[in-house]
Amino acid sequence: MATTPQLLFEEARREGRKKLLEHEALMLCEHYGLPVPRYGVATNSKEAVEVATKIGFPVVMKVISPDIVHKSDVGGVALDVKTPDEAREKYITITRSVMLRAPNARVTGILVEEMLPRGLEMIVGASRDPFFGPIVMIGVGGIFVEVLKDVSFRVAPLTPPDAYDMLRDLKGYVLFGGFRGMGPLDEEAVVDVLMKVSEMITQLDEVAEIDINPLLVYERGRGAKVADVRFILGDTRGE
Amino acid sequence: MESELYRLFYPRGIAIVGASKNPSKIGHIVLKNILDGGYKGRVYPVNPTAESVLGLPCYPSVSSINGEVDVVIVSVPADKTIEVAEDAGRAGAQFLVVLSSGFKEVGNKELEERLVQVARKNGMRVLGPNIFGYVYTPAKLNASFGPPNLLPGNIAFITQSGALGIALMGYSIVEEIGVSSVVSVGNKADIDDADLLSFFLNDPNTQAVIMYIEGISDGRKFLDIASEFSARKPIITIKAGRTEFGAKAAASHTGSLSSGPILWEGVLRQVGALQVKDVQTAFDYARIFERNIKLPGPNVLVITNGGGAGVQATDTLAERGIRLNEPPKDYVDYLRTFLPPFASTRNPVDITGGASDEYYYLALRKALEHEEIHSILVLYCQTMTTNPMKTAEAIIKAVQETDIKKPVVAGFVGGPESKEAISYLYRAGIPAYPTPERAAEALSAIYLYSKRRSVVEARLAYLKTLYGKSQRLVETRIIGEK
Repeated sequence: MATTPQLLFEEARREGRKKLLEHEALMLCEHYGLPVPRYGVATNSKEAVEVATKIGFPVVMKVISPDIVHKSDVGGVALDVKTPDEAREKYITITRSVMLRAPNARVTGILVEEMLPRGLEMIVGASRDPFFGPIVMIGVGGIFVEVLKDVSFRVAPLTPPDAYDMLRDLKGYVLFGGFRGMGPLDEEAVVDVLMKVSEMITQLDEVAEIDINPLLVYERGRGAKVADVRFILGDTRGE
Repeated sequence: MESELYRLFYPRGIAIVGASKNPSKIGHIVLKNILDGGYKGRVYPVNPTAESVLGLPCYPSVSSINGEVDVVIVSVPADKTIEVAEDAGRAGAQFLVVLSSGFKEVGNKELEERLVQVARKNGMRVLGPNIFGYVYTPAKLNASFGPPNLLPGNIAFITQSGALGIALMGYSIVEEIGVSSVVSVGNKADIDDADLLSFFLNDPNTQAVIMYIEGISDGRKFLDIASEFSARKPIITIKAGRTEFGAKAAASHTGSLSSGPILWEGVLRQVGALQVKDVQTAFDYARIFERNIKLPGPNVLVITNGGGAGVQATDTLAERGIRLNEPPKDYVDYLRTFLPPFASTRNPVDITGGASDEYYYLALRKALEHEEIHSILVLYCQTMTTNPMKTAEAIIKAVQETDIKKPVVAGFVGGPESKEAISYLYRAGIPAYPTPERAAEALSAIYLYSKRRSVVEARLAYLKTLYGKSQRLVETRIIGEK
């Protein structure tokens, strides 16, 4: 599966998509060295079992389709899949359910992903501002972002001092000292993610928006993981 | 290297187009301000219908002036400005300072663009339009229609709002803030904040800049220059539109759209600027930075004659991330030799309500001399048994006798006598404020700036190594090939 970011963007454009599919988004993140869950794409139930076994149980399974926005509404998601039998069964259930409830949707396959342990939920985003150009954002997830607007912005490219400062700028930063029985959190892993997102928005002219939500942050030394990520492409025709 | 704006601030000759005999006209007030201010260069009123204005012979056009004209101040209706620009260009002027309104701020974008084009074609830069002018006290130049009697000093103001800017000039006189410069930037058609910052960065007469910003056209340029500026001198910003509602008002005010308030907050931190919410805090900070005090270390000592004032200051400092440590033991032992037994020798040191001027003098003097005490906040509450002026004298005496350059900030609470004492302290070089909270916050600004500056320095150093090597952070690899 050798490809470049440019080939991914070309393919999306050819298919008239403004958004990268999940596995494409994960590939792009991997390419930039972002910590993503182990994953694979299955196009039949046998492959689903193979991929899941290779990743290790439990896994999450999700339908990949450019036409479905809310996957769970059409029965396109299975969480906490524990055994090979269950993986086979869920592959069939998901495919059937999607065919019934969204008969016209194109289906690329089923994404099988490592099920991630719980951690502090953060969001990391990037976009382009009309005055400042590429910008990067970070916030503590859930109600912190929605209600308290606890977010911090910087102009890209970030330097490590910027990234540390923007993280410490958050009111929710106090959570990094440890909470609910967790020890201090892995600040460096978050800074690393910020730096890489900054690299992406600075280098990839085709990308209009990046949205990592949630980024799961673990105890110090245990890193962070991109649990979900979206890339929205802009109108640039490439170089 | 001489800044591109050097001749704007040190012009050899100034022409005022639209100079008028009528004392209520802007063209009259500006000319009068220039003459009254003591500016040493040549001044040429331009008005084709008058023979002389304020005792100076009038010229029909800039190009008819026989002499060097670096700056042309334009106070004619907007539709006449193009003609003036062409004429000024022929005369070899370097700067057009366009006071006239009626450009982008009322939707007349084309005229504004044409004006800049004509100016640039003739080798001129434009300040404005839609401004009240500018002041540069080292050149004794007041080319504005603001108040004439500004106090010379080393704070520069850059303001995008006209009326607020003029009012701030007046307020700076009341607050006794000395200024090096006041520049009204208005629509920023050409010369913008970044251009001005690059002048003030190398201006030995300017220690700090206060900016009132509504919006900005070139974010990247601002980011670069403001970062470089903060690494050397503080920038205090009042960013209009801290809320979404305010941001909308700011956008419609000058027609210069601005980005979201939370993004701005991040940008200002990134460049190392101090963002304040209000004019009063900006001035409070300016008072501190006017002295160009270097921060020697983290240990703040508070000396007070009132427990309440001490607590208020302690809380304010804590909110700004400054925690008070216990005073050094030998300092405590020393205090015990003269303070009454019921005085508190912890931090804040409470020298008691009946504290004499002598207590202030002794406590402060020793604190200044002590290596482990890095900055001192002296608080005073006026009581019937004490005298604010005497206390101020005691503080000044301690500072002058030791001649140790540590930050000393005073907070004097009380009646008119306290207010007098504040002025007295300030004139003696000690920033003083009428409440403990304002004094504490002002002191914390030095710490905040020092923190911001170190982030900016680290950031600039990183960028330097980065761009020294390669423009791109990572070369594109093939996905899947590892």
